[in-house]
Parts: sequence; C-alpha cells; structure tokens
Amino acid sequence: MTTAAPEPKGNMGQPVPRYDAVAKVTGRATYASDTPLANPAYAFLVTSAIAKGRIDGFDLADARRVRGVIEIFTHENAPKLKESKLFSNGGYASTTIQPLKSADIAHDGQIIAVVVADSYEAAREAAYRVKVNYAAAMPAATFDSPGATAAAAKGQNGQFKEDPRVGDFARAFDEAEVKLTAAYETPTQHHNPMELFATSCAWTGDDLVIYEPSQYVHGLKNGVAGQLGIDADKVRVVNPYVGGAFGSKGSMTPRTAIIAGIARRLNRPVKLVPTRDQGFTIATYRAETRHEIQLGASRDGRLLALRHEGMEVSSRPDPYCVGGTKTTTRLYACANVDSLVSIVRADRNTPGFMRSPPEVPYLFALESAMDELAVKLAMDPIELRRINDTANEPIDGKPYTSRSLMACFDAGARAFGWSQRSPAPGSMSDGDWLVGYGCAATCYPTQMAPAAARVRLQRDGRTRVEIAGHEIGNGAYTVIAQAAAERLGVPLEKVTVHIGDSDLPPAPVAGGSNSTASTCSAVMMVCDKVRQRLFRALLPNEGLADRAKETVGIGQTPATQAARSGQPLDRDKAFEALGADVVEDYGEWKPDGAPLDSFHAMHQGQMRMVGGDKMKGAIAYAFGAEFVEVRVNRFTHEIRAPRLVGAFAAGRIMNPRTARSQLMGGLIWGMSSALLESTEIDARTARYVNDNFADYLVPVNADVTDVKVIMLPEQDHRINPAGVKGLGELANVGTNAAVCNALYHATGQRIRKLPARLENIEI
Amino acid sequence: MPDKSGSRHHGFDRRTFMAGAAGSALAPLTARAAAQDARSPVVQDPVLPVDVTLRVNGEDRHLRIDARTTVLDALREHLGLTGSKKGCDHGQCGACTVLIGDRRVVSCLTLALSAEGREITTIEGLASGERLHPMQQAFIDQDAFQCGYCTPGQIMSAVACVKEGHAGSEADIREYMSGNICRCAAYPNIVAAVKQAAPEIMRG
Amino acid sequence: MRSFSYQKATDPGAALRALNAAATDSRPLTEAAAQPLAGGTTLLDLMKLDVMRPASIVNITPLARTWSAVDAGVDGLRLGALAKMSDVAAHPEVQRSYPVVADSLKLAASPQLRNMATLGGNVLQRTRCSYFRDVSYANCNKRNPGSGCAAMDGVNRMHAVLGTSNQCIATYPGDFAQALIALDAMVEITGASGTRSMPFAQLHKAPGNSPQIETSLQPGELISAFTVSGRWPRSLYLKVRDRQSYEFALSSAAVALDVQDGVISDARVALGGVATVPWRAREAEALLKGRRFDDGLAQRVAEAAFADATGRRHNGFKIALGRRVVARALQQAVTMEI
Repeated sequence: MTTAAPEPKGNMGQPVPRYDAVAKVTGRATYASDTPLANPAYAFLVTSAIAKGRIDGFDLADARRVRGVIEIFTHENAPKLKESKLFSNGGYASTTIQPLKSADIAHDGQIIAVVVADSYEAAREAAYRVKVNYAAAMPAATFDSPGATAAAAKGQNGQFKEDPRVGDFARAFDEAEVKLTAAYETPTQHHNPMELFATSCAWTGDDLVIYEPSQYVHGLKNGVAGQLGIDADKVRVVNPYVGGAFGSKGSMTPRTAIIAGIARRLNRPVKLVPTRDQGFTIATYRAETRHEIQLGASRDGRLLALRHEGMEVSSRPDPYCVGGTKTTTRLYACANVDSLVSIVRADRNTPGFMRSPPEVPYLFALESAMDELAVKLAMDPIELRRINDTANEPIDGKPYTSRSLMACFDAGARAFGWSQRSPAPGSMSDGDWLVGYGCAATCYPTQMAPAAARVRLQRDGRTRVEIAGHEIGNGAYTVIAQAAAERLGVPLEKVTVHIGDSDLPPAPVAGGSNSTASTCSAVMMVCDKVRQRLFRALLPNEGLADRAKETVGIGQTPATQAARSGQPLDRDKAFEALGADVVEDYGEWKPDGAPLDSFHAMHQGQMRMVGGDKMKGAIAYAFGAEFVEVRVNRFTHEIRAPRLVGAFAAGRIMNPRTARSQLMGGLIWGMSSALLESTEIDARTARYVNDNFADYLVPVNADVTDVKVIMLPEQDHRINPAGVKGLGELANVGTNAAVCNALYHATGQRIRKLPARLENIEI
Repeated sequence: MPDKSGSRHHGFDRRTFMAGAAGSALAPLTARAAAQDARSPVVQDPVLPVDVTLRVNGEDRHLRIDARTTVLDALREHLGLTGSKKGCDHGQCGACTVLIGDRRVVSCLTLALSAEGREITTIEGLASGERLHPMQQAFIDQDAFQCGYCTPGQIMSAVACVKEGHAGSEADIREYMSGNICRCAAYPNIVAAVKQAAPEIMRG
Repeated sequence: MRSFSYQKATDPGAALRALNAAATDSRPLTEAAAQPLAGGTTLLDLMKLDVMRPASIVNITPLARTWSAVDAGVDGLRLGALAKMSDVAAHPEVQRSYPVVADSLKLAASPQLRNMATLGGNVLQRTRCSYFRDVSYANCNKRNPGSGCAAMDGVNRMHAVLGTSNQCIATYPGDFAQALIALDAMVEITGASGTRSMPFAQLHKAPGNSPQIETSLQPGELISAFTVSGRWPRSLYLKVRDRQSYEFALSSAAVALDVQDGVISDARVALGGVATVPWRAREAEALLKGRRFDDGLAQRVAEAAFADATGRRHNGFKIALGRRVVARALQQAVTMEI
C-alpha cells in the first residue's frame, strides 16, 4: 500500500489502479473533440458583446469573403429549434434563454452567430469579421445593480419548496445570552473543467450522433431530440471520457441542438470547440451569494436560535437557486430555527450547479459563523460542534441514517496536530509567516437515482457491464468494474465496462454525488440476477436462489456472500447445468422512496433523485471535518495554505485510491475557492472580465504542499444496496470556512467575503 | 516535400507565401510548393494552403494546411494525434505540452510552420510499443490524474522536468510542474509520480 | 487570426528588409504590417484574440545563431535578444553575478513558456489588461486611439498605479525588464541603417496621450542584445502574486545594492506589476545612497517610491502593497549572502 493507494479499512473495497489508467496516460482516451469525423466542417461561435438589448443588424460581407466559409448562421437563418424547459423544472436545459431564436440579447456572451467553414482557422477569422450593430440597453449586473429584482425563492423555483423553520427563532434569539449576527458573501465562480465545451454532431440519414462531454448522456439525448423535434431513439450521445465537469456538463446547453441543426442543414459533420472565454457564458456557473447568519447560544455553547438568510443571483427568465438552508438549518441541534432564501434577477446567463452547489456558499456562512461564535464563547471550535452535535435533524426531527461528524473531527484533529494550536489570534508564527489553524465541518447529502444496467457473464469469467454512467474523473469505470467483479466473484481484469454512451442502459446524471451509489447499486442488482440464474440452474430444488437474492446488500465481499449463500458458486458447474456459455441479464434499480414514475422518467432522461433531507423517516448525509494551516507573510501579506487535512465518513468506500484522490482534489478545490477563484463582473456592462486561465485563478502545483486525507470506515445499511454515500462533493465544502477561520487565527482578522486576498489582510 | 537545399534567396527560407487558406488534411504533397520559383520572394496567393512536413514521434508527416495552423491543431485535426489537448489555446494551461527537440513547449502557441525540421514528441510517442514510459507508469501507480484531460501534457512536462534537472526536491518539482494546470487537483500525486520516475529516467 | 504572409529570415539583413518593406511611419510598431516572430508567446496569443493583425510574419528564429549568446565577463553582461528565458535563468554566471536577472526570468510565466520566449520578445510583451485583450470592447485607447478606456472605471485590480495617464492605466506585465532597468542596462537595436545602443530605460514609453505607442522602437528595427556593466551580486527580484507560480505580479521589486562597510554606495530599485512601463524608482534610490540601512530607511524609501502613485477603484491596495514589497526586497538584499 502507498499513500496513493491507502490500506482498505473495515468494509472498504480494494485500492486497485484505475480501469482507464493506461488509456489516460498514453493519450488513447478519446474525449469528445478527439473523435475523428469524416470531412468535418468547423464551427466557431460569435458571442454577444452586450448583456442586454437587441441586434439591429449584421454586416456579414467581410466575414463571408473569408475563403473556406460555408455559411454563417444568425437568428435570421438558423435552424428553428423547439424550446426546452429548465433542468430543475422538469426539462433538460441549463437555461431557457435560447440563442439564435430572435434578435434579443439576454446576457453577455450569448451566442449570436455561428460561422461554419472548412477549417478551424477560417471559421475563427470569419467570426472575428462578423460586424454586429446592437441596440444596447442598460443591464443589471448583480446584487445592488439598478434594475435587479429580488423575490423569495419559494413559489418560483419548483425544487425549492420550503424555507425550513422550527420553534420561535425571534424569541429565542432575543433571550440568548450570547448572540452573533454576521453577513457573508461568496463570489461568482466558473467550473473551468480542463476540457472545453466541445460538441461534434454527425448525421447518418435521420440518425444523429453527438460527441460531447456530458454528465448525463440520456438527458442530453432526450433534450436535443426534443429541441430538434425528432424521436429520441434517433439521437445517440457518445462520450467515453469527460475531461472534467464539476457540474458544468450536467444539463443541456443551447449549443448542442444548434450545432446538430446546422449539421443537418449542411449535411456534413460539424465540429465545435468553443474557446475558454466562451465557456464562461455559453454554459453555467456558480452564482454569487449573500448571507446573513444569526446565532443565539447559551454561555455553555448550546445553540438556541439559528437564522440563515441567503440571496442568490439568477438570470431574468430562470429562477435558479441552490437554496442551501435545507442543509444549514439541519446540521446542528437547535430548537429555534428560521431561514429565507431569495433570488435576485439580473441580466446574466443562467447559473447552474457547480461542485457542491448549495453547501459551498451556505456552509461557508454557517461554519464561519460557528467559528465566530466559538471565539465569542472563548471555546474551542471543535468543542462547540461537539456540544451541538445531534443524531436527529432539528427541523422534522428525523434521524441521520449515520453521522460520524465528531469521529471525523477527532481523527482530523489528531492527524493535523490541532492540540498544538495556541488559541489566541496572531499567536503562532514561523519566520516571515504568521501561522493560523482553522477547521470546519463539511457535509453533503447522500443521493441516489434510478439506474439500469446490463451484465453479461461468460463461462470463462469474462464479464461485460453496460450502463450509461459517466467517467468524469470520479473513477466510474473502476468502481463499476469492482462492483461487478466482487458481486460475480470474477477476477477484476476479466471485467469490461462500457459507459458514456446513451445507447447503453440509462444511468442518472453524474452529479449530486449520486453516481457511484446509483450505478453500483444497479450493477450489483443485475449481477445478482445473473448469479441467481446460475444458482437456479445448478440447484433447482434448493432455496439458494432466494438466498442469492438475499445477499443483495451492503458492500458484501465475495467471502461474506459465499458464507451467506452456503457455498461459493461453482461457475463452471453452473454454466454446465444451464447448458449455455453466456448469461446476460438486464435490470432496473430504484432507490427506496423513488416515485412511481421513476423508471419511465429514467428512460426519458429525467431522473428522480432521492435522498438527503428528502428521505422518508430519516435523513442521509456524508460528513467530514476539515483542517487548514494558513500562512500570511507578515511583510507582503501573501496568503498560502500549505497544509490541508480532511477526515471523512461517507459510507462504504468502493476504492480507497480513487476516493482519496477525489477527496484530495476536493480539499484543494475548497482552498482554491477560499483564496483564488472569483469571476470578476464589470458592473457597468454585466460582462465577465477575467474569462481565461491566466486571470481566473485556480491553483497550480506550487500552491499545494501537504494534503492529507483520512477515510473513516462507516457502514450504513439504510441508504442503498451499495452502502455508498458518495464523496465527490464532500471535501470542497468546509474548506472555504476552514481557510477563513485559520486566517482569523493567524491575523485576528475575520474575512467574511470570498475570496480572501492579500488586500483584505491588514496587520 | 520541397527540396530545402540551395533554395535560399537573399537570406530567406524559400518558402515564402501568404497564409490564410483552409487546408485539407493529409493531402499528398504536390506541385504547388515544388513548382514555386524558389528564388522569388514574391508572396503567394493567400488562398493557397501550405505544404509542411512535421517530424512527429520519429516519423515525417506531410501536410497541406492553413499556414495559421498551430502544432496543436496540426496534431489534433490533421494527423490524428489527439493525445495533446486543447485546454485554453493561449499558453495558460499546459494541456497541449509537447517536446520540440528536448524542450517542453506549449504547442498551441507554436505555428506548425515554425516547427518544421524539428523533432516533435507527443504523448503518443512516449511508450516503447506496449511498454509504458516510466513516467506513464508512475502516473498510474501514484493515481496522478482523475479526469485525465491534462494528463498527456502533465506527463510530457514531467519528463522534461526530470531531464532539465528540476526534480531534485519536492519544492522544485512543484515549481517546475506549475505550467500544467490540473483542475481535478491531482497535484500531490503528480509530485509523487515525478519523484518515482525521476531516478529511472535519469539512469536512462 | 487574420491571414498573413510568412517568411523565415535566415540572416538579420533579410529580416530587417522584410520588416522594413512593410514599415510605415504613421503606424505604431505594434500595428506595423510586418511583425517579427520569435518565441511566439505574445504574438500568436494576441493574433488569436484578433488584437494583432499583421499582414506579414517574419520568423526571426534562425537569427538565434548569432543573437542568442550569453556573455558574462568581469566587466559586464551581454545577453543576445534571441536567448531563451529558460537558458538565461539557468546560466550559472548570470545566477551568481546578476541574481536579479536570473530571478526575474525564473519567476516569470511557466517552464514551457520560458523555453519558448526570447529576451527580446519578453521585454516587448504587451499588457494583460483584459479590456485591451478583448476586442469586443470598443473603448481601448491602446487598440483604438481616442476611443476611451474601459479599464479606468471597470475591473482594474490588476492595473497600474504609477505612470498612468487619463488615457490608459494598463500595467506593463513583464518581470525581466525591471531587472534590466534597475541595472542601467543598454539595449542594442539593429535596423536597416545599422546598430544603435540606448539606455533600456528609454525603450518603453509611458502611455501619456498616446498609449498606442509602447516603445521607442521603430518599425523595421529589432532588438539584438542587452548589456549591463559591472557585476551586481547583491541583487534580487521579489515578486508577489495571488498564487505561488505561473502568474503575473501584483507587485514586484527588482533591487540591486552595492554596500561597502555597511554603507550603501549604490542602489537600484525598479518596480513591476504596479506601473504602465518598467519603472525605475530614482527618488527612492537617492534616499539610499550613502546611508546605512535600517528598517526606518526602508520605510522612507518605500514611501518615496510610491509618492506619485494614484489608485483607482480596485487597485488602490497596490500602493500599500508596493511599499511593503520595496521595503522587504531591500531588507532581503541587504542581508543576502554573496
């Protein structure tokens, strides 16, 4: 075992290397724009230079003169497309703003023309030669901009049904011995996956193949079919590898149907590779948020009153919001809770989910406030969390299916050396650097959605697993292969996995950290169907068939399965008895509590995600504790975070190697979010200014020194057959507050607005 | 391929022409460049593509392409070598890193024309047949990637980092691997991979 | 990227003829019809953004045969303009006798870009002002003289506080130029009429009323070398930025000192990340000369360096930051082991 491949503990799976490792280190892994096309035409987007107004007219003469230009599509001649509803409103789309439909412009960087040419170089030149006459109106950029309008989220966003509240907050806060009221802000952020938002479309007759990085191939397939007005069976989305996504590739963006329509019109494959800056406006982002937290506590640190008010920015037509109060009002024991989420509409592209959408901004606020409260109480911040730890969430009183929050704090504190912390702000230093230690809780809901799989087992053990899951760096290939190998008792190297193709049995979006839980549960169920058929063939008169079924359960190892079913399956004899060399089965799995229309919806590319706070009779979250050492240069005020430690409990860990990597990346993401990332908006024009990798800062290798990931074994029988909680979005949540809490410890200065930058440090 | 010998005129490489036309992939080299009067520095018709020979992974590859084509786009769109990735197209991310000669460069800011006559090594040219290069194996062993999109660039950069003598300490590796952004943030594992592979690479 | 004619010049004469043929007096150098291509890291970047649209590109890389030598002798340093940043940064004698030069190069860009970019191209690299780099903004006096400046009241955290005008506040982004200006380097310029030499400090032009004119280089001229007299072992480059590497400076200082028996006999201070051009803080230097160093002096010097600074909405912090950087760089230079 190495650092990269930690020893499995308890019920964890083996830390095997990635299934797709060789493909990825040799350049053979085929991402969307790597797919060769026969005689492709190249598309280049022209995007709007204003955020609000109309196009008065185009002058395309200059652009058309560029040799190699085939056609220039604007709202006047673009293929007509049907509208699609918003993803969070029963549709597929990331936005209801449909470009090339009219002369109207709803946001900066809206697609206003598509140049198609024989070469990329010609398309790009012609795109720059397109002249646009705008009738510009004054846009509202963000909070406080003239023309921005605010209203409660409840009632306008179908997924935000209730502002959680319980007890009598006002009275409890009024009577509390210790009170805190504080406001926090988080900035606009863009996912910036390494892979650009590429789309290639190729028609063969009436059949369309789309090569596009997608976190939801079945959603995209159905969404594009709907926009084109064709049968969904005519559309296939292929993406065996996705070059990072983080939420940005989960819902259908307008570009896909546009390119598909153009390819149909031209009767030629069309390849689009948008630029990095275009990615800022043709896809989604994490909207900026504002928060006010009020905490009332007794002198001994018991929370008596908690109020969380959040405000989020969205576009004019779409009431998108993340509404993280569902989590922050339930994290700690507190009898009197109030909350309110509002949406502020501005002239912006529609935001969307970005890694831990609700938890990142809302827990930054709450976990910063908890640290501030600990300071007021002169109490260790871990002790404050311990006092308010709870087995039941306070709003509906439902029990957490499992909750290892304090075990994580204890393990993390030990590994970090929290006991070495001298509590007084500014009391620790090392040469030129002031040193601060900070911590925060992290959590993420456990979510699942229906999924289907097909499994074929051959007598020689070769196994083929088909499921339209998504490899976005999450290790999907690997954990699916492991689930099948384990369940069927075949060697891992005999398993081939086919994912990333909408012709395969549907799986849900690779988002909401549901992917491993959903796909592995479905694969395990189908493997059990296969096993059951073999058992039945081998021992038709014994009860083993039923017993095989029984073992659908919780992260079983082959050994425990064999014990339960009395004896291991002798595969060769079973195939002999069956009189066949191959067994194949298909099955559809849905989690407990999934609605009746789940499977129907699944085939329509619409998922019915359950879990988190929406479970019946229980609430399911993964938890963790995160510790950060920050250093502030006493001369230059440069801020660095050389040490990150996270301890996490997320149910069964399918593969400690891929899990550790994802958690490590998450910790660094959180540090990045706290210290570096912010999309700057020109308030006058409502335009994104730093829309590139030189100016939108994400960490480079030199920013990361020491990252330690601790995975606590945790068994949770209630959540799903795989026993998996999901951890892709667990680690980048608490880090935001932990960094600022550490900055307070280093400098005595409280940073309530992210990102924390050197100009905010006054020492 | 145009004959390079004796074709210079007044200090110019003979291949002087106007860029701007779209090129077709893998077209056999034909008359245009060869028929051009090599002694004349007159700029050519801007609509014509240019003939370029790139030496990639030890093979000469003849192309007729738009003169504006970068090495990255030449590899990806015209040579079927899609291992090198486009992440920013402006030298800001490192995903397109290749070796030209023994130096790592960003292929997105290198014109194919100016790479003529140079030895280009891409991720596809690193392994010896099915035997992985030590850096590739180290990336697997240390789980030095997640989504894998930046990985070819990271590996090419890492090989050069070692050969430059910049893998002597973890701090050096971190600094000299900072030209390659990994949004999944596999950085600590990348450092571990470079450390693992460095001795073997230095032994040769 | 617009169409261009491409020529590869194999000797300086040919390069100059090609550049000269396209030169007209009326256009600023950056708008000249013919542009030299060396490392390409600025030119191709800006051509892809449609900011630069040369009709002709002259690849001058072959000139490196004669123009890339690094000579570090007892009485000075000569750097060929086509030397690569990475090679000069790694040069042992440069590191020993001119650490400010080596550091400024090593701390710039990324290993890949330093392998590509030449010294001459590096000093001519153009501002990173977002509004300059995005041609969809009509109002940029540098790109489009007289059109206004979008940065003035826009997002300007990265912009300059020194050497600004009411026409332009775009920051000069480089690092190496600060080292050169601090060391009183000369720049050798080769043109059709021969080679001339001038102080590097005269190369860049503050925006004033004509921000489109960035240097005193004339169309048809090429930088062929940089020279520095003397040795400057007590020198360093301190660069402060948000992330640890691969980023332009928020504020930087190139400092070179000559200290004899505890008394500063010569001092050079240049500032980066805060000014529209490579910035020499001569008033600050004057305070240092003939004095013994202490922290109080460092503070006064830092104040003097930014006495004329003016901040805008988001970049005001650079004044205080710049002072801290100057003071810290001086402290480090005084105590460095040489």
